[in-house]
Amino acid sequence: MPSSDPLPPKEGALFRKLLKCYELKQYKNGLKLAKQILSNPKYMEHGETLAMKGLTLNGLGRREEAYKYVRLGLRNDLRSHVCWHVYGLLQRSDKKYDEAIKCYRNALKWEKDNLQILKDLSLLQIQMRDLEGYKETRHHLFTLRPSQHASWIGFAMSYHLLGDYDMANSILETFSQSQNVDCDRLKAPGCRSIACSQEQYPRALCPRRLPLNIANGDEFRVVTDEYMRRGLRKGIPPLFVNVRTLHQIPERAAVIEELALQYFENLTRSGHFSREDADAGIPVEPASALVWTALFLAQHYDYMRDTDRALEYINVAIDHTPTLIELLITKGRIFKHAGDPVEAYVWLEEAQSMDTADRYINSKCAKYMLRANMVQEAEEICAKFTREGVSAMDNLNEMQCMWFQTECALAYQRMGRWGESLKKCHEVERHFAEIVEDQFDFHTYCMRKMTLRAYVGLLRLEDVLRQHPFYFKAAKCAIEVYIRLYDKPLKSETTIEEIDIENLPPSELKKLRSKQRKAKKKAELESAQAAQAQVKREQHQKSKQQANQETDPDAPQLDELVAEKLERTDDPLDKAIDFLKPLQQLAKSASRRTYWPSSVLPQNKLLLMLQCIRCIIRFVKSLTSAAKEQPFNEHVQKVLEKATKELIGSKTPQQLNDEFIAKHNASILHLYEGARSLYELDNSKKAAAIKLVTSFNLAKLRLEEATKIYTALRDGDVFGDCEAEAASYQQACHQRFQYARIFRNVEELEAQLQEKEAAKLRAEEEQQQLIHVDSSEPVSVLATAAAAS
Amino acid sequence: MNIRCAKPEDLMTMQHCNLLCLPENYQMKYYFYHGLTWPQLSYVAVDDKGAIVGYVLAKMEEPEPNEESRHGHITSLAVKRSYRRLGLAQKLMNQASQAMVECFNAQYVSLHVRKSNRAALNLYTNALKFKIIEVEPKYYADGEDAYAMRRDLSEFADEDQAKAAKQSGEEEEKAVHRSGGHGHSHNHSGHDGHCC
Repeated sequence: MPSSDPLPPKEGALFRKLLKCYELKQYKNGLKLAKQILSNPKYMEHGETLAMKGLTLNGLGRREEAYKYVRLGLRNDLRSHVCWHVYGLLQRSDKKYDEAIKCYRNALKWEKDNLQILKDLSLLQIQMRDLEGYKETRHHLFTLRPSQHASWIGFAMSYHLLGDYDMANSILETFSQSQNVDCDRLKAPGCRSIACSQEQYPRALCPRRLPLNIANGDEFRVVTDEYMRRGLRKGIPPLFVNVRTLHQIPERAAVIEELALQYFENLTRSGHFSREDADAGIPVEPASALVWTALFLAQHYDYMRDTDRALEYINVAIDHTPTLIELLITKGRIFKHAGDPVEAYVWLEEAQSMDTADRYINSKCAKYMLRANMVQEAEEICAKFTREGVSAMDNLNEMQCMWFQTECALAYQRMGRWGESLKKCHEVERHFAEIVEDQFDFHTYCMRKMTLRAYVGLLRLEDVLRQHPFYFKAAKCAIEVYIRLYDKPLKSETTIEEIDIENLPPSELKKLRSKQRKAKKKAELESAQAAQAQVKREQHQKSKQQANQETDPDAPQLDELVAEKLERTDDPLDKAIDFLKPLQQLAKSASRRTYWPSSVLPQNKLLLMLQCIRCIIRFVKSLTSAAKEQPFNEHVQKVLEKATKELIGSKTPQQLNDEFIAKHNASILHLYEGARSLYELDNSKKAAAIKLVTSFNLAKLRLEEATKIYTALRDGDVFGDCEAEAASYQQACHQRFQYARIFRNVEELEAQLQEKEAAKLRAEEEQQQLIHVDSSEPVSVLATAAAAS
Repeated sequence: MNIRCAKPEDLMTMQHCNLLCLPENYQMKYYFYHGLTWPQLSYVAVDDKGAIVGYVLAKMEEPEPNEESRHGHITSLAVKRSYRRLGLAQKLMNQASQAMVECFNAQYVSLHVRKSNRAALNLYTNALKFKIIEVEPKYYADGEDAYAMRRDLSEFADEDQAKAAKQSGEEEEKAVHRSGGHGHSHNHSGHDGHCC
């Protein structure tokens, strides 16, 4: 193609070599060639060479110089498609896709049929979902190269993505008529028919399990009886999770409970599942059947949130077979559901110690530790399975281990370590950004491989990627933390609390001084450690950058996430909005199908909707007060009036809220939002607002709901200061949820801790004595349980 | 419980499941690479709520220099501990193997397993008839050796042929009906999911 500023043959040859070197990633050789051309005084300002020099520098990771030379080159030769193309490639490698698209368009002005530029443009257009633009470019490419396979496929794809399936189909049909196509070997995926009988497939799961969903009454009892006996006899750990969905119908749950209780009673008495079996002289069931039945009952009562009975049965099971890991996991889970994350983690740690080679139990243990705010311990546990030589945190981040990172963020949030929490949230955010980036290479790859259905699946997935629960959790946490930092900004590190010390009594002053000294010492120590860590991090970052440059010059370097900086941001609300935006955009297109488990989404959506009532009320309230201060522009006034009317009619915010409360008085979460609005609209109604939520029947409350109400009262940031109400609510909740730590007194918890330590000490002493008495007796373990685990 | 072919939107949950269960982990792009190159080969096990509780991530390998045929490879297989002993791993493996034969004419399927992983070794040798081919010293990042294992897939190939024969019979019948009726000009028989 002709250049706008052609070089003579010798330099022209060098320039072509330079292009080749760039393609082959021989950047150093490329620089030498550029230098050769530019050292000729006649061509020292040659635009295209300067631009290529810049692009080559970019390949070596010298980004700033790259921009300098590319821009210089472009300025010297604004009519060169090469210069514009190069500038576009540079912006693309910097992930500035919108800018890159503009550059390509400029390049095409000077060279409208350049295939390479058109192809590059089409990639950016599909990446940015400029579907119309993509279609035009694909059409252009199609007219230029109608004989090429890829031209047809890309052209058809562009229509398919716009929803014009007829056009897409007719392009493909025309194409397949003209060619002898190797058929795509796409096998229709999907589940195989389950219409198969039990006799035909004796090992299959479905034919045995499905009847339980359909049967009713006596028939249900018969098929369930058979199904459960089989599972308990064989010792199938997932038996309960496998019938759990049946619990949604209370009558079915009752039948299941009745059957399991009957098994338990008869197994204890005679070793049979039923009295009939015993009377008929059928051989006894394996001894392990009793353990599995006790486990099943424990899981059943845990599901019903009957903690006492759940613990009763799990303890029977553990006494029977102390080595069965599933039992310990279940005991931990019971405590977790009952609101005692500390006791829960203790049991998981025990389970983990019994099978250190299994990462699943290791992960669960780490998760329970995080729920108990033990971040460091969790990291140490995880380190047993992460790569040696790298910190577990770094390795888990590199592997995009998002469950760990979101749980960390939430733990830090609970502990008020805002910066650390934000750091984890941002790490998750970056994973999502990277996963969006990941699709880039597949735009060309899938066209070549002809895996078009999977490709369209990928595009549709990426469109709604941030609907994923991991993103939702991390974003929610980040938004809450940023709003907290906006409401109560952290003091800058230099201004230490200045308290009015003159008015303090001497004893208090002494205490304060000693406290300050300790705090200072601690801070010094911490900052020294932080400085050390910083040096280490920088070194690590540097070596990583160098490593990256060798492998992937295109990857732009992201700023390192530093907790201390994150929590002292100047614009917390903007940062919060960055996390919120994708969720809002996705909510708008909610009619699209969602990909993620339904168990996560509706609940979240419900919570968002709940908050709407307060948004509306706040909106109307601020509207009135704003109008009082300064009248709106007439047009604005009109729009606002119309919108308000559509929203709430002619009611006042008070009326609206009263109606809301009356309508939803059976739902505590609705009442809570109503109570908040009640208080916000009129502070004098504080007592009424608090009563609205605290008088709700506790028996009908779930633990999560009670926790939400209690923390709101305790922290005083929802209804103002209300210590007395919080204390009495705490007591009432403690009666209702005995195991939940949050409702227990500090003294009680400390006493419990001491008691535990003492018991541990006693047990160790006893153990010592035992060893002295008899060291020859082998520890007997139930063979059945060992085999089952 | 259900076993079905993995879709692109399942790949993230497969990664999650992998991180929970196994020490060998991969970034999302590697899952995309599998799912977009061989969309037929990876399978997931889902519970009654549709949550993924196990998966098999599989691919095809280019033929070895002295071989003519291609073979499949299991990149990763995991089932959550709370769903073990339902036979899910075995079913996942069989589905993937069958797809390798149906879609790519695979002669055998290969995998690596830690020498110390007795549970997995037991599954592969006893339930799935894999044979140990060789020991690969220090195959894993932590220095552990791997067994390289193979399973011959001719049993699936025979089944596949029998099925294909039956199907082509049906196709012919249909074709007869068609030609008697409205004279379709296009032949879609290549798209029924079986290897051409």
